[in-house]
Amino acid sequence: MDREFIARGLQRSSPGRFLLWILPWAALLAFGLYCAGLCLAKGLNQTNMDNRFAFGLWIFLDLTVIALGAGAFLTGFLLYILKLDELRAVINSAVVIGVVCYSGAVSALMVDVGQPLRSWFTFWYPNVHSMLTEVTFCISCYLTVLLIEYLPIVLRNRKLRDVPSFLVFEHKLHNLVYVLAGVGTFLSFFHQGSLGGLYGVLRGRPFAFREGFAVWPSTFFLFILSAAAVGPSFILLTTKLVETLSRKRLVRPTVYSLLARVSGLLLAVYVLAKAVDTLVWINRTSPGHGFLASQYYSWKPFGTWILFAEIVVFGMLPALVMLTPRLRAHNGWLVGAAAMACGGVALNRFVMTVQTLALPTLSFDSFVSYYPSWQEVGTFLAVVAYGVLLYSFSFRYFNLFPEERELRLEAAVHEEESALAGRY
Amino acid sequence: MLPWIYGFDWNTGHIVFLGAFYAVLAAIAATLTAAAIRSLRAIRAGQTDAIRWHGDFESLPERDQVCRHVLTGEFRERQCPHAFDCRECETHAKLIERHPLAPVAGHEEDVSGMAFPLDRFYHRGHTWARLETDGTVLVGLDELGARLLGVPDALTLPQPGERTHANGAAFHIRRRNADVRVVSPVDGTVIETGSAGRGWYLRVKPDSTGANAFRHLLRGSEIRPWIEREIERLQLALTAEGTAPALADGGVPVSDIAAAYPAADWDAVCGEMFLEG
Repeated sequence: MDREFIARGLQRSSPGRFLLWILPWAALLAFGLYCAGLCLAKGLNQTNMDNRFAFGLWIFLDLTVIALGAGAFLTGFLLYILKLDELRAVINSAVVIGVVCYSGAVSALMVDVGQPLRSWFTFWYPNVHSMLTEVTFCISCYLTVLLIEYLPIVLRNRKLRDVPSFLVFEHKLHNLVYVLAGVGTFLSFFHQGSLGGLYGVLRGRPFAFREGFAVWPSTFFLFILSAAAVGPSFILLTTKLVETLSRKRLVRPTVYSLLARVSGLLLAVYVLAKAVDTLVWINRTSPGHGFLASQYYSWKPFGTWILFAEIVVFGMLPALVMLTPRLRAHNGWLVGAAAMACGGVALNRFVMTVQTLALPTLSFDSFVSYYPSWQEVGTFLAVVAYGVLLYSFSFRYFNLFPEERELRLEAAVHEEESALAGRY
Repeated sequence: MLPWIYGFDWNTGHIVFLGAFYAVLAAIAATLTAAAIRSLRAIRAGQTDAIRWHGDFESLPERDQVCRHVLTGEFRERQCPHAFDCRECETHAKLIERHPLAPVAGHEEDVSGMAFPLDRFYHRGHTWARLETDGTVLVGLDELGARLLGVPDALTLPQPGERTHANGAAFHIRRRNADVRVVSPVDGTVIETGSAGRGWYLRVKPDSTGANAFRHLLRGSEIRPWIEREIERLQLALTAEGTAPALADGGVPVSDIAAAYPAADWDAVCGEMFLEG
């Protein structure tokens, strides 16, 4: 029964082994749902957030996964608009990653905001002066776009393809996917930017406040660039991880190389822009608000090391590795660089969310620490478990990597030839 | 939605935001609606088989999408741009006009111990079509296809009167874990069904028997290079299933290849050989 839903020619683990794989994640999801239920039923007193730390682990998670999920829009843009056909090998996986990241972020946000039955208020009674309104609208629309892009992947399932209306609808929808790719790029561009802009307009938080262009602070552009830069790295990383766990070759080395080149190039531009932005902030913006930049870094553990790590260790280094053909050809360097790029964006979102709120800004203010409660951690883990489960089911039942079967054939021939060469 | 809420006024920023937001919603709705309308039209026009075939063809590895003129050596490399429907292909028409197929001596081609009669046309999905004197067309499995499936566990044939489309499903055969869709070589209406024992499965009243009707099918001197390539593909598919290729030493395929490889995933092998995605 299970076998009939798996694409022809693909090898997947036995149902028993698959069950063993998903059980711990399902248990984690159940625990996380319990935590989220507590937060929704009893309120935010279940968390360690307060009036000062209105943003905590969940917002850090939201910002990070939305940046990592940017690979979906960028891959779609490069494939359907710029016609980089090699990326067809990873587009399905990129869409699933996008769905996981965005739906996970929206779920965490719903727990954070609370009152899910009134979630429609945000659309019907939006605050037209808030950047979050734009973020909410864009993320909701883009999640809808991602779900529509996910639909053909589901309908291409071997068993569902037997239903004529599904088959035809999938084909016709797929023919129009370039429209969705364009819309997705437009939406992603703005909500990634607005998430950054959200911090850049905080005049009361000079650590985060930035000058910019027209109504957009520089963080608007930096968030777009950093998300676009790490999106391909995250696709590369997840594909390598799935290859390792499933012990299968899923895409050709040329695809990894292309992803690394795109990621490296965008990361290099980002590092340059971030360095210029930091210099302007240190020398002009922050002193203009009565703060020397050194003051921000006198509160431990947030020393200047964090700035160095963000720009040099997790920015410049992985960019250089991914832009150097000899280094990116080496699996260890490639995976290491992609992981560092992803770690860098997580660090940046952590700094923007947690460090911004921890630093004192008024003379009677003090430095405040924040540690998430177990309910917050549980909800965070639920999003992770949900992502792993959705991806695992998608990998098992849908053809996420169209070249998998062909690569298996090539590997078998290569093995055969090696065996014959050894014999003679 | 937005214009009547507190704090909204018709300034440039709000108009741009509202315009962009509604444009995005309109684009999403229009895409879904267009896909739904086109789907309805396609289903009503009976294009389901053609869409399925195009999906199957696109999922084939590039080396299996090669033009028939690569098989005969006229091109070194060329992907078929018409999903093996040479009736639409101008290149094929020109090539056939300039270089007609060389005649083949005898009544059949013998390739690796398998007989391929020359009185019929072959589809690359391992079916054949033979034009009968009464204007009907018999459809059957070629020798390699028959040996791949051996003695079928189940056979599902269309009812007389049903339509069949070239590259669409002609009939289904189940063998072990493989449920194989066997492609039809011709467009027409089924008028009689046969069986493996009778040597053919369908008798079809073709829509046309003109010069163009069988142009997409292989014939004569094209058969040998095609089958030789198919045997290579079979070896590759079997190797991928972890079974040693049995033909490399010049042997011939056994009459029931499925029975000879009990451990192989026969569904995968048949999917590969019968061009099913």
